[in-house]
Amino acid sequence: MKQTLALTILITVMVPSAFAQTFRADDPVWVDNDAAIDVKHIAKHKLNDQYDFMIHAFGKPGDRTPKRAMNVNTLGEVPDSSWFQNRHALRRMSIEELVRGPNSGSGPSMQGPWIVIGAKTEGITPGFRVRDARGDVYFIKFDPPQNPEMATAAEVISTKFFYALGYNVPENYLAFFTRQQLVADRKAVMTDDAGRERPLEEADLDTILKRVHRSQDGEYRAVASRQIYGLPLGPFQYFGTRPDDPNDIFPHEHRRELRGLRVFAAWLNHDDSRAINSLDVLAGVPGRRHVRHYLIDFGSTLGSGSVSAQKPRAGWEYMWEPGSALKRIATLGLWDRNWIQVKYPNLPSVGRFEAEWFDPKSWKPEYPNPAFLNATDEDTYWAAKIVMAFTNDEIRAIVKTGQLSDPAAETYLANTLIARRDKIGQQWLATMNSFDNFAIVEGELEFEHLGSRLDLAREPAYQTQWFAIDVVSETRRPVRKEDFQREAALFLVEVTSAAGTINVHIRERDGDLQIVGIDR
Amino acid sequence: MLALVLTLLLVPSQQESDELTRSEELQLAREEKAQHLEPPKRSFMEKGLYEVKERRLVERFQAGFHGFHPLIGGIAKGSGFGIGTSYDITDKLKASAQVSMKGYQKYEVVFATPRFLSDRLFAEVRTTYRNNPEEAFYGLGNDTREETRSHYGLKDRSVAGQAGIRLSKNVKAGVHAGLVDVTVDQGRRSRSPSIGEVFELASLPAFDSQLTYLRTGVFFDIDTRDEPGNPRDGARYVARWNYFRDQNLRLHDFGLFDAEVQHYIPFFHQRRVIALRAKASFTRTADDQSIPFYMLPTLGGSEDLRGFADFRFRDKNLVVVNAEYRWEAFSGLDVALFADAGQVASKVSDFKFRDMNTAAGFGFRFNTEKKVFYRVDVGFSREGARVYLKFGNVF
Repeated sequence: MKQTLALTILITVMVPSAFAQTFRADDPVWVDNDAAIDVKHIAKHKLNDQYDFMIHAFGKPGDRTPKRAMNVNTLGEVPDSSWFQNRHALRRMSIEELVRGPNSGSGPSMQGPWIVIGAKTEGITPGFRVRDARGDVYFIKFDPPQNPEMATAAEVISTKFFYALGYNVPENYLAFFTRQQLVADRKAVMTDDAGRERPLEEADLDTILKRVHRSQDGEYRAVASRQIYGLPLGPFQYFGTRPDDPNDIFPHEHRRELRGLRVFAAWLNHDDSRAINSLDVLAGVPGRRHVRHYLIDFGSTLGSGSVSAQKPRAGWEYMWEPGSALKRIATLGLWDRNWIQVKYPNLPSVGRFEAEWFDPKSWKPEYPNPAFLNATDEDTYWAAKIVMAFTNDEIRAIVKTGQLSDPAAETYLANTLIARRDKIGQQWLATMNSFDNFAIVEGELEFEHLGSRLDLAREPAYQTQWFAIDVVSETRRPVRKEDFQREAALFLVEVTSAAGTINVHIRERDGDLQIVGIDR
Repeated sequence: MLALVLTLLLVPSQQESDELTRSEELQLAREEKAQHLEPPKRSFMEKGLYEVKERRLVERFQAGFHGFHPLIGGIAKGSGFGIGTSYDITDKLKASAQVSMKGYQKYEVVFATPRFLSDRLFAEVRTTYRNNPEEAFYGLGNDTREETRSHYGLKDRSVAGQAGIRLSKNVKAGVHAGLVDVTVDQGRRSRSPSIGEVFELASLPAFDSQLTYLRTGVFFDIDTRDEPGNPRDGARYVARWNYFRDQNLRLHDFGLFDAEVQHYIPFFHQRRVIALRAKASFTRTADDQSIPFYMLPTLGGSEDLRGFADFRFRDKNLVVVNAEYRWEAFSGLDVALFADAGQVASKVSDFKFRDMNTAAGFGFRFNTEKKVFYRVDVGFSREGARVYLKFGNVF
């Protein structure tokens, strides 16, 4: 308990609010080196998804104390780490980079047969694990028969978005193959419907393929998800820290990139954004090993529900909401939420995805997520800003990688994402103080109003006030803008408008001015 | 360590050169944690759920043990809670045995070839023994009184075959034939009186006879329901014609025509469904023939006329209609309001709208997308309220 307290205090000290005006020599930190300590002993820890549902639906895991995200730097940004890399938002990616996403190649080799080294027949999502001619291992996942292209397109498109947003994701490729491409490994075992393991036979492959969509020319379309390099350790939770990972010191429910994921999940309708669809991997070489944290399995995103079109409830309501259930029972079903009335176009390769009724603020995953519930205005503003970084052309280019054969479906999907993006901007940029992109240019403080630049809101009238900070006495005194460099080594600029005040701290060091803190 | 932390916390901001950098602080925190690492732990509940899943206990339970599979419920209407087991002799040959709290027994062997000739043809042969010691009997006709409830015992042995063809994805037709040997008696001791204590046995056709029937028939089935176990859209139309030929006495030959129509009207993304069903059974006999009372169509109970007892009405002809409004409370539970109306008559011309027995009620359907696995229905009729706890859907 003492150790936990000490750690908590230390972390609190490390990430002060800007009001404390304590800046360290290396602030703002842009890289959190959470691979610093070698992970010598760490255990695989699988999570039971029923248990995960129960503790979240009926309990309140994690710390729900309202507080600022703990892993942000003094600018309110997320340093690069084993969880998150600043990509498109801060260092704009080209269309080619966005389209390539995390992929390092072109997918499984077609130069030889794929050796099926594992298969899954139980449950509702059949699939294979194959080794290609290069020796790379891929998980093969399919579309449901009634929705050709839907789940595979959703997986590939969302993978690229989440990569560009900054997360670690697997390399997911669209793959097209015939039955002849698959050969069962003689040593492979599979689990049958009865839960028993037995040798995998060619007939098992036929049985699985009967349950998936096949084109008229006998070709199967699938997602080939390349096995992530490293030792899989099991999923990460959206609360607490991993007790056997020395580098994991920020409670997950207080990590900015996990809180902000709520906005990204809403945009992409990733209702399955729960622990079971994440993966910790032990990466590196002996002596320099660390845990990397991945988001995986995007089959239930956009309009796809993996095995069918997305459920109409998805994104609108938790699986278990006693209040709603009781209201429906008591009113004989006359009361219901808006999702019951939403109309979707008949596009089987898209599923259920729309923008007209979409409400980013009320969007919900399948069951409560502690990090999402802890998201503050700062977290959602940070995420919305990243979402708004995607231009229409960039969105269309990424959607195109889903290779939807129906042009109307592709257009609809892209337009829906654009409209949902705009609603997110409207929700979190237009209604908040969106003076941003602060920079020192030729000794001048420059900034812009994001809301007006993105045509989401009018730029409000504002004023700036300049203060010199005495870091020893922790006092401030007003200074003239023209004279501020002569007055002290640390300055505060207050940008005040009807939407509130943003504090910008500027440090002078060796004659150079540097923005060292932003507090909104 | 703690002293350092407190020092950092309490001492006001100092010159940068005197302080640890942010990165150094993070490193310190990690080094501190590295001293106290421990493996992730599971709570008692998580351990239990984890083991159930990892060991695939549910799948193994459903798959059975060395070919044995558990059976819960499903013996016969009015049998009470039943359990049993089936055994896979081969992948096509299965045997089962079931008993219920009320002493009902059912033993069956089934040889089925559900798919051959590219799934177009199907066939099965089954032999069954049933012992139903407490079948309810209220008399014949639509105007029997609840107070005349009695019971009798019924035992039958049968061997029957069925073969059919799948004409399209949703349409199948076929023929069936078999022998059934039936005996009835006054049943075992029970809370209700035996049939002989209430009715004149001589007035009940074929009570004192052991009959063997040759049963032949045809059937036609159109099924467009989306999920047969929990339909929310589509329809089903079934028609069966059976002819029962009395092999012993030649006194009880009869024909039985059953027809059933189900229709499901979804709205609001299938989270609301109007479910409709109409069912009719009509018998035909020659003038010199009669139908054993225990072979007559029956009405009442959890499957058709809720609010009335099982087998409450019995006669040569039957019609029943059901309407349900079902709505989803949450994923996993549908609630239903229902209204049932049904009637039996000795002649089709005797059916009168005003003679319909009516009931209404509500129910809770615990389900998955594909199946209703348990339901609680509460039916209200002029004979009071009845609660039904049943495995499976009503229709």
